[in-house]
Amino acid sequence: MEPIVKKWYDYLEEGKIMGMKCKDCGAINFPPISACRKCRSRNLEWVEMSGEGTLLLYSVSSMIPGEKFVSVAPFAYGQVMLKEMCLFSTKIEGVPISSPAEIEKGNQELPAPVKAKIIDGVGGMKVVVFEKI
Amino acid sequence: MAKNPYVIGVGMTKFGNILETPEIKDKTFQELLAEAAFEAYDDAGISPEDIDAFLVGNMLPETSMSNSQSTNSSDWLGLRCKPGFHIDTACDTTLTAIGVARDMIMSGRYRNILVVAGEITNSYPDENADFPLKRKPLSPIKLWKWTDYAVDHNFGYQHFYGFDALTGINGLAYMKTNNLSFEEFDRVMLQINKNVRFHAATNPKAFLYEKGTLEEEAQREGFSSVEDYWKSEKNPFLAWPVRRKSGLTTADGASAIILSSEPEKYTKKLPIEVSGFGYATYNWPWDGSAEVIAFKDSYAMAGIKPEDIDYLSVHDCLQIAHLNTSETAGYFKKGEAWKAILDGRTRFNGDKPMNTSGGRGGVGHAFEASAGADTYEIVKQMRGEAGERQIKKPIRVAVQHNAGYALHIAVAVYKPGK
Repeated sequence: MEPIVKKWYDYLEEGKIMGMKCKDCGAINFPPISACRKCRSRNLEWVEMSGEGTLLLYSVSSMIPGEKFVSVAPFAYGQVMLKEMCLFSTKIEGVPISSPAEIEKGNQELPAPVKAKIIDGVGGMKVVVFEKI
Repeated sequence: MAKNPYVIGVGMTKFGNILETPEIKDKTFQELLAEAAFEAYDDAGISPEDIDAFLVGNMLPETSMSNSQSTNSSDWLGLRCKPGFHIDTACDTTLTAIGVARDMIMSGRYRNILVVAGEITNSYPDENADFPLKRKPLSPIKLWKWTDYAVDHNFGYQHFYGFDALTGINGLAYMKTNNLSFEEFDRVMLQINKNVRFHAATNPKAFLYEKGTLEEEAQREGFSSVEDYWKSEKNPFLAWPVRRKSGLTTADGASAIILSSEPEKYTKKLPIEVSGFGYATYNWPWDGSAEVIAFKDSYAMAGIKPEDIDYLSVHDCLQIAHLNTSETAGYFKKGEAWKAILDGRTRFNGDKPMNTSGGRGGVGHAFEASAGADTYEIVKQMRGEAGERQIKKPIRVAVQHNAGYALHIAVAVYKPGK
């Protein structure tokens, strides 16, 4: 088995957001994995993701963010349903976070389309975030 | 087919902080385990000589100063040279272990099994001293750094993962699905917290027992109304729309359960049958499917329907579980839990009692020991030993749900033995 995690982050360095398509059941797995989440098959191939999705909900990490994200908090963190029907959670850009009233207003405008973007993560690797269109 | 085994004994330490709480102050991991196990042995009327195997839970070796937890605890439990092993499914471990112990007993090889777990979440040993009694307070950030190793670190954690924001999203999902305004949602969350504290104020084993009810606390803090206190800067948002008090109270402590195929040999107390058990696990991102499977499997094994349930215990490290998990369990119809809670129906004296111990907000959350504390409450309630918070109607079916980070879902169904 090839190192999947390494390859995914290498793809991000090249500007590509990749997932894995199951050659047996056709499901797209994102993030990639060693066996299909739907049918458990190992018969998977790399595919480029559309980068399109729908932001369902978001809140803000500020009181107890993950330890390595303390220096970049507060930030919006949300749930995105990708066009390929995978649920993904990450930082969300382009949504208001400065007060509870703003977060409430921002959420009232959801679901809304978002577009994937590759940015520098915390720890020297690239990561995927979503930006409200 | 072998008969279902029974819970014949339960024990738990006071939940609190081993740096401060008098009942558990200065106790090490092994001493916490032993205290819970000894109460369970005495409750069951069993000698450790008759324990055929033991399962030990503990999530954070950084605080317990122990890996190989079974070897590190066997002698302290009075179980030297007995078969035992460490079992870890995070915060639902004690319930998972009850299911595994059930299957071990039903295999015919074991008759009596001890399930025990302990956790320390408020302090950790100074790295330079490497001595369990030389401890430092543990900050929430550091506690969650270690706890978050339960979350996928290949991808999930690297994408700005935060337990706080997820709590907010969880609350928002319920709010939006049920078309609740923030004000309505906030009122429901206040009522849940009032219930949590109301129950904990009757439970001497609860971390917040001495702090009394939320209303009493509001008064002490100088607020004329509990609503004003709830909305004050004393209770900031953990992540909008969920406030800090709707999260968990980190605790240190231990719990123990004894399962047996021959209750009448040891005790005259009501044996509690483990009638159904199901569990399912998956990793981030979660879509709720593991929870549905665990409920379905355990109900099928026990031959019950949701309307048969007289008491429900949900894993309330996020108090939103009183809403969404009770609906997934079928205890309330979809969209009905918030109304039932506002009507007071989930208190011990209501017609749909839930989490009457005070749960993870009131008793506190000693990670792998906390599911055992839920079982402790169920057994006490079913036996009629719950004191001033005793549920009056007979409990013929009790359901216990727990969630282990991230995520392992376990559900058990209990019925009174004959």
